Amino acid sequence: MTRYRRTKTHRGIRDIKRAKRTRARTKDLDQIHEDMKTPEKFEQQAVDADLPGLGQHYCIQCSRYFTDAGALSDHYKTKLHKKRLKVLKESPYTQKEAEAAAGLFTDNGKGRVSGVDDATATGLMDT
Amino acid sequence: MRLEKCYFCSSTVYPGHGTMFVRNDSKTFRFCRSKCHKNFKMKRNPRKVRWTKAFRRAAGKEMTIDATLEFEKRRNIPVRYDRELMATTLKAMKRVAEIKARRDRVFYKKRISGKKEHEKQQNVLEIQRNIQLIGEPSLKEKVMEQKVMATEERMDMETA
Repeated sequence: MTRYRRTKTHRGIRDIKRAKRTRARTKDLDQIHEDMKTPEKFEQQAVDADLPGLGQHYCIQCSRYFTDAGALSDHYKTKLHKKRLKVLKESPYTQKEAEAAAGLFTDNGKGRVSGVDDATATGLMDT
Repeated sequence: MRLEKCYFCSSTVYPGHGTMFVRNDSKTFRFCRSKCHKNFKMKRNPRKVRWTKAFRRAAGKEMTIDATLEFEKRRNIPVRYDRELMATTLKAMKRVAEIKARRDRVFYKKRISGKKEHEKQQNVLEIQRNIQLIGEPSLKEKVMEQKVMATEERMDMETA
């Protein structure tokens, strides 16, 4: 494995296994959507020596810490950030949507005691 | 026995199958197989992956508005066991599945109709556009003739 191949494979990630570990998971889009509803929560964060820039410069959309205000403002101009903004315009995917796609909806209708709905059953017969 | 739906591909997850991922905010995600789990880990959007039900529904590949789809529902109301009701339900399930299969077939036929013609048209267009690639002179002439005919027809249509 020469240097060229090393930089090309796995998008330059040195140890793909380490990057894919559950503990290295980054936030999902639905979590970011939640974060975006309360941006004031991320404005004043406690000083954390383990994070880049003591955890003071945070991009909510990309869920990433930057070393200083300059790096953060530079990041706002990047393609990476702009692409993320575009992706975040869509509503997040949910389990409910997955179930709806399989044709499974919830029906908590009032006064419906029987398991089989007579109205739909009769509606089918006229085909 | 509870049958869950896969978060990624919306297929049914039977007991003893698949994986469940519990995120650190205690939200759970069920997957029917490692394929779906891996795709989730890659942070893919099921709406954009062509083999998922979510995609097929959104892209109009499958029937979405139909009375047969109203039958299966999660009803959070407990029902007292009744042998008669059970028997009629089972009967209805079979009948509904039958009707749904038939309607699915019709829907598919309708969706796919006209595709052959479209493909044919596209092929003709491709040949006309890349006429220089055809070596055989007699073939070339034939194609050119066709093209002239087509343009004349179009002109007639416009004037009419």
